Amino acid sequence: MRGEALAVLVELDVGDGPSQVSLADADAIVAAAQDAGVTAIRLVDHVGEHVSVDPTVAAAHLAGRYGDIGWVVDVPTTHNAPYNLARRILSLDRATGGRAGVVLLAGDGDEVSDAAAPDRDATDPADRWVEYAHVLTQLWESFPAAALLGDQENAVVADDAKIRPVDFDGRFYRVAGPLDGPSSVQGRPLLIAVAPADIGWARVAAVADAVVVGYGEIDGAAEKLEEALRAAGRHRGEVALLARLDDTRAIPELQAWSAAHVVDGIVLAVEGAAPEVLSAIGALPHQDSPGRRGTLRAGLVVPNPRGVLA
Amino acid sequence: MTRRLHLNVNILNAGVFGGSWRFPGTDALASYGIDHYTAIARKAEAAKLDAVFLADGPLLDPSIRHRTGNNLEPTTVLARVAAQTERIGLIGTLSSSYNDPVEIARRLGDLDHVSGGRFGWNVVTTAGPVAARNFGRADEPDHALRYRRAASFVERVVAAWDARTELRSPQGRPVIVQAGGSTDGKRLAARVGEVIFSADQDIEKARAFRDELRSGAASFGRNPDGIVVLPGLSTVLGSTEEEARRRRELLDELLPDAYARDRLSGQLGISLDGLSDDEPIPTDLLRDPIEAGGSQTFNRVVREIIDREQPTLGQLLKKLSGGGGHRIVVGTPEQIADDVERWFRSGAADGFNVMPDVLPSGFDDFADHLVPELRRRGLFRTDYESTTLRGHLGIGVPEVRAVDEAELVSAS
Repeated sequence: MRGEALAVLVELDVGDGPSQVSLADADAIVAAAQDAGVTAIRLVDHVGEHVSVDPTVAAAHLAGRYGDIGWVVDVPTTHNAPYNLARRILSLDRATGGRAGVVLLAGDGDEVSDAAAPDRDATDPADRWVEYAHVLTQLWESFPAAALLGDQENAVVADDAKIRPVDFDGRFYRVAGPLDGPSSVQGRPLLIAVAPADIGWARVAAVADAVVVGYGEIDGAAEKLEEALRAAGRHRGEVALLARLDDTRAIPELQAWSAAHVVDGIVLAVEGAAPEVLSAIGALPHQDSPGRRGTLRAGLVVPNPRGVLA
Repeated sequence: MTRRLHLNVNILNAGVFGGSWRFPGTDALASYGIDHYTAIARKAEAAKLDAVFLADGPLLDPSIRHRTGNNLEPTTVLARVAAQTERIGLIGTLSSSYNDPVEIARRLGDLDHVSGGRFGWNVVTTAGPVAARNFGRADEPDHALRYRRAASFVERVVAAWDARTELRSPQGRPVIVQAGGSTDGKRLAARVGEVIFSADQDIEKARAFRDELRSGAASFGRNPDGIVVLPGLSTVLGSTEEEARRRRELLDELLPDAYARDRLSGQLGISLDGLSDDEPIPTDLLRDPIEAGGSQTFNRVVREIIDREQPTLGQLLKKLSGGGGHRIVVGTPEQIADDVERWFRSGAADGFNVMPDVLPSGFDDFADHLVPELRRRGLFRTDYESTTLRGHLGIGVPEVRAVDEAELVSAS
């Protein structure tokens, strides 16, 4: 663990189904989580075959009511062209004052990109994942906020020399860029990986800002991450390691458990309905410095990217 | 029931004029912040408008050096607006060429659910090579292919909404909004459009367009009253005629010249290099709209102005003022209300997609002065009578057409 504070994300599956929380319940949970100093809400894309309310819609909506908590949304590569997803996540990040991140789920392609795929033999979801992640991070930095001038006198909105196409030319995607909007106050949204063993630690370490590991797979995860980061030329401090905790009995021992496993935060995934989630939030160690918090990067103690914050 | 006007406000970043962002008292970069959009939406709801409207394309407009552009993704903006308003409709533009139908059906259906049945989808086919290059293509798909795809794409998405058992919307499903003025576009509008966002300078042409759409809808077995035709209308308001005229002149002066020329050249698909402001536009330079590429609607609108008025290049640039070809009305609230009333009563429009000259000030004037004048004349609602967008528009949920199971056409 790198700092004193343990980051906490609360996971929600919003929907109409019997095992999901309704939008009204989600609203009450976010209110309680914000009061308790929770770092961010994670909105999942689906559980099993059952899809949730589109996480980007749910996050943008709830963020319109709660301004002092972060938003992490799960989105699969499947059905999402990277340019569209990059825009949506950056829009959310800008609207929330730099409090957004995406859990990019490995999957298949989308109907638009597939029709123009550079290499039709490229199909491996893990290879697709890392390529997609690089497209996102490059697009997010393609229009640096510093390029926006708003110089009314000289009729210059933006210094377009600072706005650069990405001209990404990969095996799965070809994306020119740049993005339509400027970078956010945290530089760019967080790119988060789950199931690193499936994607491969080396791919995750090349590009992720945070990685989520299951409770049962936490042993040795810190070492694997550190080793993969070293091989990628990055430092351990650049990536937050989060453990997904689905057993609330562990909450009272959270600080000690996290320190023992060298994790930087937890994703609290409570089985059950709204009362159980609220009760788990109530049991969390309360954050002792209330008041307005900063960006999601600040909350997870990962550095801002250097590229866009000159 | 008395026929009432329908009004949307198009929050086109800093305003429809190319020089809006430079207008005195305007925060040049306000449209790069989310509060610009939520504040205008709240104002529009207080004025009881039918909906806010967001134009969009998945690209950075190359004119960014000289004018502000749309820069926030519409579904995320509207989901937030939904949280901060209760009644107003929420119309967002999304491309049928550059989205996956499975993903968009889910996201837009969920937005409709989350907003309590207030969402409308403005279907566009997205012209131009700049967007195409963000999706692995070298150039825009052919116009006819774009529209063929759009028709089957919309039908597929509508069928997916209709088949929902969870997260259903209080209005049944989102309203389909469509804006094409080309032959292909009109056919698509008659087939699936419910709100039609059109561009016409001339009242007779607008009336003919509305009649054509209504009879086209009937020929597809639809009720013509299930179609709401809203021409774009750019407003320049002043408390006196002189004040309005001065505001219009100031907007002309603020228009960055390089931007105006680039935009017109893009619309006509020709180069204007070497042409001076006081020369007429040589007609032999003009290309057939179908061959020129890009938007046929705006190409046609601009050519009609050239044919009718034979302006010099400078006069044409001023007339368009970087706004592209939607009709501009300049005057006092009473004068503009006269114009609105004439178009509405003559059957040229069911209402308007209002594009204020400068945002937010131009819309503040519209809501504070023009809306009350329209109410005095009994033309516009004094309060909402419904909670959904369909309710505001007075349209029901049309029958779902059988979906053609053939593969969706997609340009590679």
